[in-house]
Amino acid sequence: MFFHIVLERNMQLHPRHFGRNLRDNIVAKLMKDVEGTCSGRHGFVVAITGIENIGKGLIRDGTGFVSFPVKYQCVVFRPFKGEILEAVVTMVNKMGFFAEAGPVQIFVSNHLIPDDMEFQSGDMPNYTTSDGSVKIQKDSEVRLKIIGTRVDATEIFCIGTIKDDFLGVINDPAAA
Amino acid sequence: MADEDYNDLDMGYEDEPLEPEIEEGAEEDLENNANEDAPEEIEGEEREEQEPVEHPRKTSKYMTKYERARILGTRALQISMNAPVMVELEGETDPLEIAMKELRERKIPFTIRRYLPDGSYEDWGVDELIVEDSWKRQVGGD
Repeated sequence: MFFHIVLERNMQLHPRHFGRNLRDNIVAKLMKDVEGTCSGRHGFVVAITGIENIGKGLIRDGTGFVSFPVKYQCVVFRPFKGEILEAVVTMVNKMGFFAEAGPVQIFVSNHLIPDDMEFQSGDMPNYTTSDGSVKIQKDSEVRLKIIGTRVDATEIFCIGTIKDDFLGVINDPAAA
Repeated sequence: MADEDYNDLDMGYEDEPLEPEIEEGAEEDLENNANEDAPEEIEGEEREEQEPVEHPRKTSKYMTKYERARILGTRALQISMNAPVMVELEGETDPLEIAMKELRERKIPFTIRRYLPDGSYEDWGVDELIVEDSWKRQVGGD
């Protein structure tokens, strides 16, 4: 799920960035530091949409650096248990397959793939129904449900299932 | 020794009218004025979050030699790390010398936060404080 939230961060700024462009420099550095990172608490920071305010700086003793508390608005993406996502398959093997929904990796074990789908090895490993009408391979798009998340400080990893109504392939690159 | 005399000075000063520009609100402006050429928001030693506006500050309007040392040291360090200089240079190259020139011209973009024994604090802009050298001569300012 996506959220638009306000986060705060202390930015340490090198003295060479002081001067009339100080604020711009802080914002540029903030974007570089924060966008694309992942925190267990808030999820992936997708983009910074605005700066709420830049607080008053505090000089760090001994280094000459100044740290500014910056409040910024950003879009974050955090997967939840039970959430339905659309994802692109990146790897298929006999244990199941991996898919990516934006920055998050999702593993779907072969226990959580419908029983009528069989693993087919070969140079393009895939899962296929017995009649061959549905095929999951690399670059397929699937709709899946998240049944578990592992949240580290800097990483989120999910387990998904397609063994439920209305889940499974939503577009097949091979068929197209 | 400098310190004791300075306390005396302080006494006499207690009932003098305070300088007009001392409210918290004024602080930002002061600072920004001082920084026309490079609106910098580096504040000094420490900067307040949002102090409840309480007007009469009661600490000395003289900069102590310790504050002076810390400001010059910090500012010289920043200048040595390529911080933009707030004054016109006339061939000076030594960061400490440049910092002293900035202090003379009251162009150091810092605010001093003076903590009092009860944990409260007062913020003084460097440009508000009277600076004396070790021989009690006023340095810079008006």
